[in-house]
Amino acid sequence: MKPRIYFIILLLIIPVQASLLSRLSLAGIKPDFALAVIYIIGLLTGPGEAALAGIGIGLVQDIGSASFIGLNGFTLGMVGLFAGIFGRRVLDISSPSNLILLAAFSLAEGLFIALFMQVIYGSVPIFSMFFTSMLPQALYTGVLGILLLRFIGSRNVLSTLKRHALQKEL
Amino acid sequence: MSEFIVKHKKFLILFILFMILFWLITFQVKAGRFTFMEKPVLAVSGFFERVITSPFRFAESAAKGYIFLIHTQRENGRLKEETAQLKLENSITNELIIENERLRELLGFRKLHPPTSVMAQVIAKESSPSSRTVTINKGADDGIQKDMAVIAPTGIVGRVQAVLSGTAKVILLTDPGSTLAVRVQRNREEGLLEGKIITCALKYVSYYADIQEGDLLVTSGLDGIYPKGLPVATVTKVTRHEASAFQTVVAEPAVRLSRLEEALVLLK
Repeated sequence: MKPRIYFIILLLIIPVQASLLSRLSLAGIKPDFALAVIYIIGLLTGPGEAALAGIGIGLVQDIGSASFIGLNGFTLGMVGLFAGIFGRRVLDISSPSNLILLAAFSLAEGLFIALFMQVIYGSVPIFSMFFTSMLPQALYTGVLGILLLRFIGSRNVLSTLKRHALQKEL
Repeated sequence: MSEFIVKHKKFLILFILFMILFWLITFQVKAGRFTFMEKPVLAVSGFFERVITSPFRFAESAAKGYIFLIHTQRENGRLKEETAQLKLENSITNELIIENERLRELLGFRKLHPPTSVMAQVIAKESSPSSRTVTINKGADDGIQKDMAVIAPTGIVGRVQAVLSGTAKVILLTDPGSTLAVRVQRNREEGLLEGKIITCALKYVSYYADIQEGDLLVTSGLDGIYPKGLPVATVTKVTRHEASAFQTVVAEPAVRLSRLEEALVLLK
């Protein structure tokens, strides 16, 4: 993908996640926009580029929040890497299994962060968090991801991206 | 060897990057969180957050101003009743304040000054799953400074983490990086309340301390950030382990942070 697209994503990821998606929250649960975006980048580009994009977006999130610098960079980078690997081998963007895989990535990220917090600070209610926060958010993120993928598919964005990739290879 | 490096160059770079990130995280666990680049990111995101939320705020104010006008008369009557009740309570409270001040003077205690505050709207909520922060639409121009207390009518919300001219980032009570000095209202037992993402936990509470489910935790004022006596959280679970000198106390914040729309920043 073009660097300017990444620049726009980096510029807008925090405001969209924090302002726009807060308005779409259901009982305090909102989808993880950054994770859905990284997953889609993984499917469209490949593991290397998606991992780098994940690290970049995650670092911007870390700086803009109160978390440790590098924590989201690490988790989103991993999501990008694995989404890229899966995207190359088993998945295409129109597959309905993306919902399940995206939800699984969201759950894995949530569990990793909760376990990390448990190790660092202790007494994090992981069990109750899993059912009250992580699982609903994972499903919501899956639905958002599917909607984003449909949007990409319907607007010929995919063919444009493929054309750019082909031009690059040639 | 060199062939292997050339062949897997991309993945080796990624591996090194992940290792650097891992080292960064572990370094911060020991040395504390880095805050560099915080203000430029807040400036950019704050600008776009204002732009994104402004149509919503406009629509909301229009809806409140016109569509809900139908309910105004009924609400007016209810508010008049409430005001009368509050006036009565206020006059009793004023009497108690005057009496308290007089007694403090008699005892030679320092005079208490009620804090002034600034009302702010929440324009953005946390952007990262590992932290709990909100952005408010007031900043240094309104007298807000770092580490000022942020409250809601039902209790403590958090404290100001970073400030720009027109926006500020507030770290919520439930953020893992948030700690505040509290005491149990019932028996004045003291502790340190730490954020646990969706709940809070009371740290360093002795095994023998009398803490029960349903106890209200209020600020002790010992941290120098929050005024004394404000509601913070309610104890929801107490666990005692034979092997530990401390008990595990889980508490639910008094304010429903997920539905926070407005907050008061207490100016020092």
